[in-house]
Amino acid sequence: PCWGYRESYREIWYIFFGKKNYVFSWLLLQAKRVKRQELFAREGLTWPKVVHFFTQHLEKREQQTTSQELKSVLQAAKQIVGTDYGQDIIESAAVFLFKTFHNKEHVGHEETRAIKQMFGPFPASAAEAACAAVDRLVANIGESQAEAFIQSQSSHQSLDHGATFGRNIAFSFDTYVLDTQDTLPWEEEPDESRNLDF
Amino acid sequence: SPRVPLDEQHVTEPGGRPLPALHPQRKEERCFLLYAPPPEEDSPAQVEEFLENSQFIYEDMEWLLALPHDKFWCQVVFDESLQRCLDSYLRLSPRGTDPPPLYSSPAVMAMQHSLHRSVFMVFLRMATHKESKENFLTPAVFAEIIYDNFLFDIPKILDLCVLFGRGNAQLLHKMIENIFHQQPSYYSDLNETVPSIIQVFDTVLEKCGLQSEDTGATEPLKLNTHLRITTMTMSEEDLSDLVLYLCDTCSTLHAFLDIFPEASSMFHQHGFLSRVSSFYEMAVPDLEKAVKKRHFTKCRQEDLWRRLCHSRRRIVEITHLLLQHTCLQPILEGSEDTAVFVDDLLQIFTAFLQEKRFLVDYDEQYPVADDISLLQQAFPHLDETRTSYLLQGLESAWTSLGKKRSQPS
Repeated sequence: PCWGYRESYREIWYIFFGKKNYVFSWLLLQAKRVKRQELFAREGLTWPKVVHFFTQHLEKREQQTTSQELKSVLQAAKQIVGTDYGQDIIESAAVFLFKTFHNKEHVGHEETRAIKQMFGPFPASAAEAACAAVDRLVANIGESQAEAFIQSQSSHQSLDHGATFGRNIAFSFDTYVLDTQDTLPWEEEPDESRNLDF
Repeated sequence: SPRVPLDEQHVTEPGGRPLPALHPQRKEERCFLLYAPPPEEDSPAQVEEFLENSQFIYEDMEWLLALPHDKFWCQVVFDESLQRCLDSYLRLSPRGTDPPPLYSSPAVMAMQHSLHRSVFMVFLRMATHKESKENFLTPAVFAEIIYDNFLFDIPKILDLCVLFGRGNAQLLHKMIENIFHQQPSYYSDLNETVPSIIQVFDTVLEKCGLQSEDTGATEPLKLNTHLRITTMTMSEEDLSDLVLYLCDTCSTLHAFLDIFPEASSMFHQHGFLSRVSSFYEMAVPDLEKAVKKRHFTKCRQEDLWRRLCHSRRRIVEITHLLLQHTCLQPILEGSEDTAVFVDDLLQIFTAFLQEKRFLVDYDEQYPVADDISLLQQAFPHLDETRTSYLLQGLESAWTSLGKKRSQPS
């Protein structure tokens, strides 16, 4: 590779794939969201397991209300992912909403960002409905029990950050900057264009 | 048991099939995103978009850094989306010389900082063939991998220096030194790149109307030839772009030579000093005049002036770095060929006598008399006639430009 070739190659690549091509960027982002959803779906907790968890400990008279709340979460998930997707994706989204809201009373900034990052733009009312329904579900069981259930079901192998490369390497943000002491020498020369005398 | 390099290891994947440890099938489908720089305007939607995109990239980088050695290299070698992502960061990440953003959203700054560090660590890991006693690649295979897969190339190395340099100079030097040491083809690439870098300066001269691309300076222009565009007649936008281009080139080149001075000799061999000094002599006064006279807004004009002064200073510093590493250092270290280096240095200084403006600016920052004095101490047989001629020429350059030294040298 040489300077000229590489630079022009990069310029072409930038025009097609860089920020100038919004459609391409949007497609990449969509692909990334789908990838993230797939990874999440592989993490272990499934919607049937959530349903089983909430129904097994409850008496019959409570089961009907619980069933309604679970349906609300599923319905919210459907609104968030859109109607084009199959039941698997909707259930996986419902699990995500359950995990996101199991210890939250309101839809905060972080939760909004997490949902958007996973599914893209979504109706706020759906998130609020899901949050409220999960809150009522967890209130019946107890937050600590819900937390223990989520932990026990998670097969997600968390990354060993103790072994992360570069963890102990000092990094500096000090960078080459523009010299700032240079100011225009306005007084140095008279403006010739204004002194023309014919 | 004897320790085996990664490139010779085999693993058994689920299903019982043995695979080489470095195999495309062991790559994860991660789909790395392209980096987009922080927004120029403080619009909540754009800020949110930046944060979302960068968060994805940051998480992916952290995931990559936490991967075991074998999985890291599978990803690095076989995932094209990762290389596109890293390439986009090097290409588009804000430089320290860029104008500071008009606003400073703490969330944007924090995200950019986190990303900046994690991207650097990924490059550092890619430049490390031996992570530990257990985790390593055969040096020759490492050399082949980084070169054949374009994990590093000369433009990327230049970008790395300007983006991460100064604060991480030692680490960067080690990285680049290792890359060049393991894979000497990078020296050939650099050798091919230097003329292209010199060409950048020629292009600036052409755009300024100071050097014709296809006609010699002595050849008269034909009557129907379009009037040559100069810095006073080109559009203000083009002039502005030209100054930014020059500033970017000088900053990048300076950062590279500052961090990896071993490259100096290659630039020297291509006659870089004579080209850059004559460029300076022709282009600097012309651009200075145009920036002062053209009708920019005051703010734009101040910025362009600063960039021009910055470029001037970087050219002088580049010259000093080259002289330091190709002539002065070998002389002071008592090289066997001291006489050759002394002659080379005096010849270069003598050639600079023709470029008065350049010589005076160089002398102002790095007094030539100091270097001559060092030469006299290190090389007693120095030809005093030559040094006197040189110092007199220098004095007359100062006089002819009507400048006074701020301090006697």
